[in-house]
Amino acid sequence: MRRRSAATAGITGLFTAALLLSLGTHSTGVVRNDPGRNLWIPDELTMPLELRVAYNDQQIFFHYRWPAKRPHVYTDVLRYSGGRWQRQLQTPIGSDTEGLYEDRLAMMLDAGSVPEFQRYGGYITVGANMRDFTGSGADAAHRRKYLPATRKDPNDWYSIKDQATLDAQRRAGYFLDMWQWRANLSNPLERADDQNVAWYRLYDSGETLFFSNWDLDGQQPRWMFDPASGGSPALRLEDVTGGRATGDVPRVLREGEAVPFDPALEWREGDVLPGQVLRESPESRAEIRVQGMGRWAEGYWDVTLVRALDTGHPLEDKVLRDQGVYSVAFSVHRDARTSRWHYVSLPLQVGLGRPAADLVATRFEGAAPDWPGVEPHEVTLFYPGQVSWPHLTSARHAGSKYIAKGVPVKYRHKESQLARYGVEMEFDAAIRRQWWLSLVAGVALIVSFVWSISLLFRQPGE
Amino acid sequence: MGPYHAIMVHFPVSLWMVASGIIVYRALSDGELARALDRVLVPLLVIGVATGIVAYVLGQLVWPPSTLQKTPLGRNHMLGATWTLSYWAAVLFLRWRAGERVWQGRLRRLVMVILGALGAGLLAITGTLGGHLHGAPAYLSEILRMLGWDVYTTFYVPTWVLAVLAIVIVAMPLLAKRASRGPPASTRAEAGQ
Repeated sequence: MRRRSAATAGITGLFTAALLLSLGTHSTGVVRNDPGRNLWIPDELTMPLELRVAYNDQQIFFHYRWPAKRPHVYTDVLRYSGGRWQRQLQTPIGSDTEGLYEDRLAMMLDAGSVPEFQRYGGYITVGANMRDFTGSGADAAHRRKYLPATRKDPNDWYSIKDQATLDAQRRAGYFLDMWQWRANLSNPLERADDQNVAWYRLYDSGETLFFSNWDLDGQQPRWMFDPASGGSPALRLEDVTGGRATGDVPRVLREGEAVPFDPALEWREGDVLPGQVLRESPESRAEIRVQGMGRWAEGYWDVTLVRALDTGHPLEDKVLRDQGVYSVAFSVHRDARTSRWHYVSLPLQVGLGRPAADLVATRFEGAAPDWPGVEPHEVTLFYPGQVSWPHLTSARHAGSKYIAKGVPVKYRHKESQLARYGVEMEFDAAIRRQWWLSLVAGVALIVSFVWSISLLFRQPGE
Repeated sequence: MGPYHAIMVHFPVSLWMVASGIIVYRALSDGELARALDRVLVPLLVIGVATGIVAYVLGQLVWPPSTLQKTPLGRNHMLGATWTLSYWAAVLFLRWRAGERVWQGRLRRLVMVILGALGAGLLAITGTLGGHLHGAPAYLSEILRMLGWDVYTTFYVPTWVLAVLAIVIVAMPLLAKRASRGPPASTRAEAGQ
């Protein structure tokens, strides 16, 4: 009998150990980075963004503060290597190994003309087979954000409606205002790039804030730093990759200050020039100003964007008014990432003096707000993975019926949950296979254990 | 089928929860009430498994398989439901096959307590996941998260653990068969009663 008791104890121990091993190792072994399939998962799936909003009779101020281990203030550099100038042609998958992608913060804004945005935020702008999605193909670089109603079939990026319809939609306000602060390409100008999303992610009218420094015919830069100004005509690669050049403010080429590139200079291996030249733009694209320039210190970026409540460009910028409630959603690129490797927020409502909103902007008199007196609002940003609007509205998404009924995403999902769902979407086939195997193994383990115990509980001779 | 699934799951949930209580109580007590409750254990488990199968089938019809198996929460709920149903069917088999011998000896009682507690736990987790799917999340998922499992992450084990499980699955009955061929002895003596 002692033998049976020992076997019973041993089998129970084996069963318990198998359960504990399963618990201790669950949900591992499948999710791993695979740049060849555009798969790269950040270590942190969520991050905080502190937001303060204030306004006066003329302007609205958004103050953002978010953590970043170090500032990344260079992007798109031209480098002298192997005896010739070269341009980096491919965007990185995930974090750039050299740290050469600028930090960015973007905000989409609507005044009620895009009702789905208020409920689902940036998800509505993500179409099928978008740029950098797994399997999107080499020709996907142009497949960027769009609003669903700009397509005859929202699932088909190329089914764009006719120009007359798109124009009518714009007059009706069917576009999202998009502010984009860039640590390299706009911050030195004390500007944010003013864009909008309609049938495409478009730039507001006016000259761009930057233009290419690459001479395609000559295969060399067009402009360089002026040696007569006392500095070197170029940067050094080790400085821009190590972030030592100028801390949180990059050394940039500016129109009017840069001088024509001189190929006759004695260029050295590792010399670097910015791939873009910055310039002032007096038009709509430069409506958003950075108050005091965005600065990084002690692990945090602090950026304040300022814009007129009414810019006078109602077909490109949303007009804001006292007592109005507006929808906003944010994204942050940090750790030298670009494209879809960003953190995004769910939509929230900002009320200008109106309490029926997630965040009430503080009204003030004078030229600038007293920030310590403005209540902060913490927003959780999350890594969204590869979740598209066509998927969310399809029968494959269990919540599609709620979307059809207009139930807001925040009613059903939290940010951390969406981050995990986003990651799992990227490994769906592999996870489902492993899940099936685990399900069957669990059933077999239960049956095996109980059957074994029943054998030991029988009367001897049965 | 969602509302019908929600109605139907009340039966196996309540029956198996009561069964868990009876198993633990009987394992700890030889009193008249414990013995009386034990006598209804097999009928309870039979009805529990029967209604559990109906609830399980209805649950599979709430969403198309491609939808249910697309989301972590759907996958976890299906996994929990499959394991729970299998588990309680197995417990029914054990109690029916071994009869009152399952209460003979401290070790067997301990095994039954483990079975009862584990069954209740599985049931609670599966029910919690169903609540999440229905849009009514419970605090239990926070406890699970503290224990290391976020219910919004699909539960699966890596391939090497599957290999270990396969070995355990084969080893347990082999061990039991080998031990059960041993010489008979008084179970009463083993129990020390």
